[in-house]
Amino acid sequence: MEKKENDFEPKIIAFLCNWCTYAGADLAGTSRIQYPANIRIIRMMCSGSLDPTYVIKALLEGADGVLIGGCHPGDCHYLNGNLKARRRVAVMKSVFKNAGLEPERVWLRWISASEGGYFAETVREMVAHIKKLGPNPLKAEWAL
Amino acid sequence: MLLKLNSGKCKSYQDTIRNFLQELLEKKTVDAVLVPLRNPVTGNVAQALVTDERGLNEADPLAPLQMVNAAKILVELTREESGRKIAAVLRPCEARATIELIKLKQVLGDNLVMIGYDCPGAYDAKAYFEMTEKEGPGADIAGRCLKEFTNGDARSLRPACALCAKFTGESADLNLAWIGVEVPEVGLETNSEKGLKLAEGLQAGEVKENPGRTKIIAKISGQRREKEQDPGENIRALIGKCLRCYNCREVCPLCYCKECLLKPEKMGYTSERHLKRAIKKGRIKMPADTLLYHLTKMNHMAVSCVACGLCEQACPVGLPLGKIYRKMGKDIQALFGYIPGMSVNDELPFVTFKEDELPDVEDVKK
Repeated sequence: MEKKENDFEPKIIAFLCNWCTYAGADLAGTSRIQYPANIRIIRMMCSGSLDPTYVIKALLEGADGVLIGGCHPGDCHYLNGNLKARRRVAVMKSVFKNAGLEPERVWLRWISASEGGYFAETVREMVAHIKKLGPNPLKAEWAL
Repeated sequence: MLLKLNSGKCKSYQDTIRNFLQELLEKKTVDAVLVPLRNPVTGNVAQALVTDERGLNEADPLAPLQMVNAAKILVELTREESGRKIAAVLRPCEARATIELIKLKQVLGDNLVMIGYDCPGAYDAKAYFEMTEKEGPGADIAGRCLKEFTNGDARSLRPACALCAKFTGESADLNLAWIGVEVPEVGLETNSEKGLKLAEGLQAGEVKENPGRTKIIAKISGQRREKEQDPGENIRALIGKCLRCYNCREVCPLCYCKECLLKPEKMGYTSERHLKRAIKKGRIKMPADTLLYHLTKMNHMAVSCVACGLCEQACPVGLPLGKIYRKMGKDIQALFGYIPGMSVNDELPFVTFKEDELPDVEDVKK
């Protein structure tokens, strides 16, 4: 059991906002901060422009986790897209819970352009959490 | 203000309501009335846009059959400003959907008067047609529906109607209050400025609140609120039966997008993509993405779901969609303390926010 947990390398899809979290990820890179390679980044203009369908699709196709990164409240380049994103994510999690999917696989974090270290830490934390959760059970399902 | 509609020559609630609608057209208070008409020969009931008051002789809004959500028709009728005034006779769920659509800028509410009514519910369309076929077009199906409603045993109604605890037109401009009122009297409740203005010119006496009506409405809505419980169904397993026919999207009043993201061609699936996915997973269900379809639809519209249950009536494989969407909608609406269809002044949850809310969404605090 212990071994299996270690063997599993989760695949995490990250939707990051162009102005804060993506720049934060960039800073982590240019600062040579190490973090697990389990993350696949998709850059968006704003976390508020993320349609839930992309998160659902990622999970149904077998991604083990989805990270949504936006600016800290008050810092949004478009004034309040991140706070609208928070409402969408709340709805997503509520739907997932009722549909028997695992809402813990979806994370929302505010990470600014100067927080390269915090970005790396978030990825490490999330990978550890998803490893504990195990692989996404939807990966093996065909009737979706 | 509660007005008493009864001209003396009326013998039933339906007569009184027809009389009231005819008066609206005769006095040119409105240019057209949207109301279900009942074909006296076949017993069929269909929505109609009526401009000639004689056409209203067949008006029968109390027939317990709902083929479409009338809000969907109002989108078509008010797409461009025509300058003409329309009165729409709406079930409570239709009035709620109309209010949501006004907020979503799909219905122009300026020249629209919503006339709601006490709704004892509707039968599933197939069951209703069976009844009219078996018992003839003259059968008093509305009377049976009312009896079942008042007995508190609405099992034979559509599940969405049997669960509904908001069955009076409180959010419409006017409400025709007839349940628990003595035949053929119908009370006219005015709920807005617009409704009040329309009622001003009518030949109607003022009456006091009817205690019989208040009692029965409180009783039934109380019973239903108590009965409300988790559907306890495995949604994923149920949706495995979905054919992806899109019927539930077509009939849903809140699915108004001109280009739906969930169309297969919009999803960008080429034959090659399907095959690649099948190779990756070993096997995939076809038509594909039924769960993606439903979960996305829920994310998009459940916040405004008025629980009319038309999705369930339209489902060819009999999925309990009404119950599922009702539960999803309730939980989502509770997040924001939002009740859809109550007032055009309540902001839609997705266009607004509070700075300090939903602390559980950001999974781990810094």
